[in-house]
Amino acid sequence: MIHTWRKYEQHAVTLLLLLPAFAAFFGLFAYPILVTLIQSFRPEGQTDGFTFANYINFLSDPHGRDVIILTFVLAIGATVFSLLFSIPLALILREKVRGHRFFRLLVLVPLMVPGLIGALGLLLFFGSRGWFNLAMQLLPFIQEPLSINYTIQGLILFYVWLYFPYTCLTTLSALEGLDRVVEEAGAVAGANPRQVLRYLIIPQIIPGILAGSVLTFMTAFGAFSIPLITGGDYRPLSVQIYKEISAYIPAHWSAASAMAIVMGILQVTALSLYMRLLRQRQVR
Amino acid sequence: MRFLKLYLQPLWNARLLLIYSFLSGFAILILAPFLMISLRSVGKGWFGKLWFPPELTLQWFQTAIDIGNIPEVLKNTAIIAAIAVAISTTIGILSGWAFGRRHLPGKEVLMSLILLPRMIPPITYALGVAKIFYGLDLVNTYLGVGLAHVSLCAPYAILVLSSTFESLDERVLEASSVCGANALKSFFYVILPMILPGILASMIFTFTTSYNEFTLTLMTYGPDTVTMALRTYLAIGDGYVEITSAMSVILVVPSLVILAMIQSGIQPEKLIGGFKGV
Repeated sequence: MIHTWRKYEQHAVTLLLLLPAFAAFFGLFAYPILVTLIQSFRPEGQTDGFTFANYINFLSDPHGRDVIILTFVLAIGATVFSLLFSIPLALILREKVRGHRFFRLLVLVPLMVPGLIGALGLLLFFGSRGWFNLAMQLLPFIQEPLSINYTIQGLILFYVWLYFPYTCLTTLSALEGLDRVVEEAGAVAGANPRQVLRYLIIPQIIPGILAGSVLTFMTAFGAFSIPLITGGDYRPLSVQIYKEISAYIPAHWSAASAMAIVMGILQVTALSLYMRLLRQRQVR
Repeated sequence: MRFLKLYLQPLWNARLLLIYSFLSGFAILILAPFLMISLRSVGKGWFGKLWFPPELTLQWFQTAIDIGNIPEVLKNTAIIAAIAVAISTTIGILSGWAFGRRHLPGKEVLMSLILLPRMIPPITYALGVAKIFYGLDLVNTYLGVGLAHVSLCAPYAILVLSSTFESLDERVLEASSVCGANALKSFFYVILPMILPGILASMIFTFTTSYNEFTLTLMTYGPDTVTMALRTYLAIGDGYVEITSAMSVILVVPSLVILAMIQSGIQPEKLIGGFKGV
């Protein structure tokens, strides 16, 4: 009897400890989403009523579909190019080359500085009068400044700049968890460096790499400050949502809410599909 | 095939050179944007195809501080970040203890639930937060903006602190009580020194999150609660590149200080720990 009472007491203490976290979770996350969900079914500008019009308008409008496609193109592009950039970088940084500490620190820079500053700096650097174009024009066959700002390619480049650290750091920590003995054994058994890389290193770090790519995809999908500043006419979902409530008077709250819900659903679906793929890979 | 080998051999021989050109390209890509911002902020008459500004001046900083009202903005930023850090560290310590030290059924599920706000794009719930805060008159107050930041900071704090508490060694605690320390003494002399690094790490990360947070600030700010990140955004919209650059330089300094702190102590892996559960 006393024993069970103790148990209840223990549970009560645990619950009390968790209470503030749950209060914050519901008050600042779950309830706001609920409010958004309800708002998304309200006819625009009214306080009650029920309609699917906001969703239908957004999803049937070709422009709305373009927005969704653009969001996916940017997120997937950023993930793929981050991987292509991070894997060689991580492989190099693992071999304690001279000055590797400095380069490791550089990997952290995009994570630490505000995204806004990164965006502004990149706009300046890749602008028509920026150093990148000045350097390019030293080449004999390039006359005109390359336009990078406010293009899709440029946007993907900026995304990669900002979000590659996730892939790079997870790849690096996966690489550092490897046992060198395996590679040495491979080398002793007569594998050349390319074969060691292909058959011994890559298969072992694939889970780490893919986990990192999930992070990059996730953050790139929800990216807001970079496309807001550097996107120009290219507006992914997040920016489009903000435009709905900032560019119109009165604000299109219902339309924005419907888009926000669509975005949340897409993000969760894409993530769970991705995780499912990852898990299947690991089982195989 | 032999041809290819002949061709690839010099490349392999020059691999150190290749590696260093790759690394320097990487360094340029990361650092040049910041160099350009800082040169912009002190340059005068920098037009056309010039690599460096012809004249140096501090007048943009002066203008930024006067017009942009930087001291006021810095004060706002500090107060808001302090509120966010205080609330989320308190939440983090309490629930971190429950997660790390106590029996908790369904721990994994609860943890992923708590990390959900970091996985879903902030704009999706920032709309709702803004709507609720309008109703509660919390928009344009320090508490309101700080609370909005908590939604992103608290999951971080909980994650970092629960792993800190989890790694506390039971035997050390037993040893302290065997040696005759009462609960209070063992807390101050044994537990606290062991968990202090974790608490500091969590405070640093939550501070950075709040300091850099833009989406939620944009949705809940008002004329009295403009933060540094927001001020820079507004300045970008105004279009004066030099003044914006000067503001950015001021904004980036704390981030660099924190980067230096991390370099000298905390593992970078912890930085992305916020998503490790994914």
